[in-house]
Amino acid sequence: MSFFGFDHTLPRDRGHDTSAPGFSQAADPFSGARPTHYDDALDFEDTYDGLGDELDEGDDAFNDDTFGGRGEAAVTPGKQPVGKDFDFFGQTAKVAGAMNEEQLRFSRQQPISKVTSAQPSPSFAPPAAKPVKTGYERYKELGYVADMRVDADIWGTAPKRAPAQGSPGLPPPPAGRKMMSLEEVEAAIRAQTKKPAESEEPSQPPSQHQQQYPALVQQQQYQQNHHQQFQQFPPHPQQQHQQFHVQPLTEGPPTPHRQQRDRKQPGIAQQPVHILQRGPSVGPHGDKQTTVLQNSNRHPGIQELGGSRSHANSPGHRSHPSNGRQIITHPTQLADLSEEDRAKFLAEDAKRAKRNHKIFLMSKDNGLMTPQDKNFITRIQLQQLVTATGNPNEHGTGSGLSEDFYYQVHNQIRGGPRQNPGQPLSNFAQTYLYQTGGRHSGVRRQNRGGDNHLQRMEHQVQRAVEAAKNKPKNKQLVIEGSLGKISFSNAKTPKPLLNFKRTENDRKAPAVTGSDRKTVLADIEKVYSTLMEMEDHDRHNPPPLHNDVDPELVGRHMDWREKAEKLNAKLWQELKVHEPIGDTEIHPFIAYLSFSKGKKSIQRVFRHITHEQRTTILTMIVVHLDQLDVVRQAQLLTGENLLNASIRENVELFSLAVLPSLFTYLGDAPLDIVTGVLGLILSINVDIISRTRVGVSLLTMVLSRAELLKQGGEVDEQEWTQWSSTYNQFFNVLEPTLPSIFPGTVNTGEDIYVWQFLAAIGIGASPEQQQRLVMAVKDRVMETVTLAKTLPPAMSNQRLANVNLFMRSIGLDVELLA
Amino acid sequence: MADIDDGTSAPAEPLDLVRLCLDEIVFVKLRGDRELKGRLHAYDSHCNLVLGDVEETVYVVEEDEDEEEVVKTVHKKSEMMFVRGDSVVLISPQASP
Repeated sequence: MSFFGFDHTLPRDRGHDTSAPGFSQAADPFSGARPTHYDDALDFEDTYDGLGDELDEGDDAFNDDTFGGRGEAAVTPGKQPVGKDFDFFGQTAKVAGAMNEEQLRFSRQQPISKVTSAQPSPSFAPPAAKPVKTGYERYKELGYVADMRVDADIWGTAPKRAPAQGSPGLPPPPAGRKMMSLEEVEAAIRAQTKKPAESEEPSQPPSQHQQQYPALVQQQQYQQNHHQQFQQFPPHPQQQHQQFHVQPLTEGPPTPHRQQRDRKQPGIAQQPVHILQRGPSVGPHGDKQTTVLQNSNRHPGIQELGGSRSHANSPGHRSHPSNGRQIITHPTQLADLSEEDRAKFLAEDAKRAKRNHKIFLMSKDNGLMTPQDKNFITRIQLQQLVTATGNPNEHGTGSGLSEDFYYQVHNQIRGGPRQNPGQPLSNFAQTYLYQTGGRHSGVRRQNRGGDNHLQRMEHQVQRAVEAAKNKPKNKQLVIEGSLGKISFSNAKTPKPLLNFKRTENDRKAPAVTGSDRKTVLADIEKVYSTLMEMEDHDRHNPPPLHNDVDPELVGRHMDWREKAEKLNAKLWQELKVHEPIGDTEIHPFIAYLSFSKGKKSIQRVFRHITHEQRTTILTMIVVHLDQLDVVRQAQLLTGENLLNASIRENVELFSLAVLPSLFTYLGDAPLDIVTGVLGLILSINVDIISRTRVGVSLLTMVLSRAELLKQGGEVDEQEWTQWSSTYNQFFNVLEPTLPSIFPGTVNTGEDIYVWQFLAAIGIGASPEQQQRLVMAVKDRVMETVTLAKTLPPAMSNQRLANVNLFMRSIGLDVELLA
Repeated sequence: MADIDDGTSAPAEPLDLVRLCLDEIVFVKLRGDRELKGRLHAYDSHCNLVLGDVEETVYVVEEDEDEEEVVKTVHKKSEMMFVRGDSVVLISPQASP
């Protein structure tokens, strides 16, 4: 933008300058200043080494070409080309100042600062090299520079007019720095100052001034506003001249102070004050070379000249004169201004000087690092960032490893990411490796261009972000060779110390399954625990209540009962008698009874449960009678005389442990219950039941109880009728099985329970039923009697006694058969 | 045979499993190349055991005439036996035959 803007403004400015009073004014002061400066000029000559003579002037022709008509036009007035060059130099100096500032800023902000500075140089490479040196030298002498500023202030008053005159004269020196010697320059300046200042100013100044001044002014302004604008400068043909000068200056960091002054000067050209400031520096020379002095630009030009000839000398010369002039010139210049303005200007000048000095100091080391260097450093910083913010993994091991050369090599050889979750770590390692690789090839790449670096940096930033993202994901670190994981925790996801799943089903499942061995065993143990509790609780039964009411004792009784009820409920639940029927293949309670310790517990259980509960248990057992292990497994297959030992044991146990409890209960049971039990039995497989000892025993008990009740005479007629009908059904169902209800052969002899059963049936049976009964078991009776005759008397009597149980129940006797 | 964890035994500790074997036939391995099989009547926290109807098997290594080592088993039966816990290597529930 600035560039274009600059161009546009230039034409305007030119027009303005030509017509503008400011230019003419500027010229005038110079003319007046000449005499004093003249003396200074002499000093300048003395100091001159003659280096300028040695300079290559071969390029002068080109200079003319570049500056073209101007140079010639300038020649007519005096040594106009010199003036042009001078102006140009000044312009370049200004530009250079701006350039330097930019450099500073760029260097701070961006690594490319050098590049920017370098950019202008390529177009005019040759001039650049020398000027750079001169510029630096000047800067080194900071103190002088400061003085120069002061001079500028002084000059401001006089110079205003000088520019018009000076411009023509000045150009030659810059263009022909090398070409012209100091003497020549001085001569030119003198001639110009004397002659042109008065007469020629108007004619020439416009062209030169227009170009130079406007350019300068605009440039300076722009620069002040936007440092970047410099670069835009180059494009304009006219400005190109200036650029030449500028380039060298830009390269030479020291110029800034002067340049800045110069910048101000352009403003001064328009505004008297500025001119005054610039004036002083030029002043000394201006006395001798009025034209030169006119423009603040001269300073750079002069300085350059001096620099090229003898760097050390030039500053010294200037400084002296400047100081003296300041004092002298100020009054004159200031006179024109009000006190306030003066103070303002002085203050501003001081500020600028300060700032410039600072910038200069800071610019010392400008350009030490190449952009590639800066990129490289940036990458390193990024790398560190990755390490710092990267993964937890990297913290522990990664950061250390990343700087471990051997690890890196090892990793490279192994070719790859870690075995483990350390994804980020691998990322990091890759980054690191990538970089190390980059170092070797980096030199080559650097030449290729900055894109590579930019890409690389982007890459690294991506990795850094990636690593940061990965951080929370990796909560665990498995260190190679270790047996465990290291987990990381943060506020949001605390480290889980225990990790086990609890499913709701786990607890309910066993209840449903119910019948598997383990569960049943556990149930049994619970029952036993509860039983022990209850038995213990029984022993703590408080003493019986007396007639006189003892509240405490009553309370203890209540508590005791309460707890007894709780325990009872607990026991009842653990017995699982109330588990729904049919949910499982085998009812939990039946499974419970299938264990010997389960059977053994029944007697104890019966002592602690209510009558209803006993009834329920009896009912459960009867209903599931055919499922009891002692019934299911106790079926004698044809050809088998004896049951398995363990089964027999179980049957025996059941008979001893469970049945007595049931008998005891049934012994007190009313007929309706007995009838009910028999009815239940009818609903199940009577055939199976009647062929087992347990089943037969139970049936015998039921039938006996009914007969006892009948004989007791306490039986309700209706109930007895009901019983009779049930009994008849039962008999009908049982009859087919009767022949096979005897276990084994006659020889086994364990058939007493069967005879008892038959007796029980026979008692309750009608004559017709008794007849059928005899028919069914007649064979067995005969066999037994026959067998008994072969047995020793004791055994024979027992056998016959067993048979007699049945025979007598139906009104017969074994004796009759014998 | 039995699943070790079915959740029914509230405080699950190893001896609770042994408790389930009460009044059951268990297989007990002892130090000194001895094995027992019998009905577990009682136990305590030291694994002291009271077994009933025990069949004890002792493995003895003897050298025959050829100086070859031969393992011989010696069987003993006891109606009731107290086993000191420090010799118990393992207790295993045995499926009732």
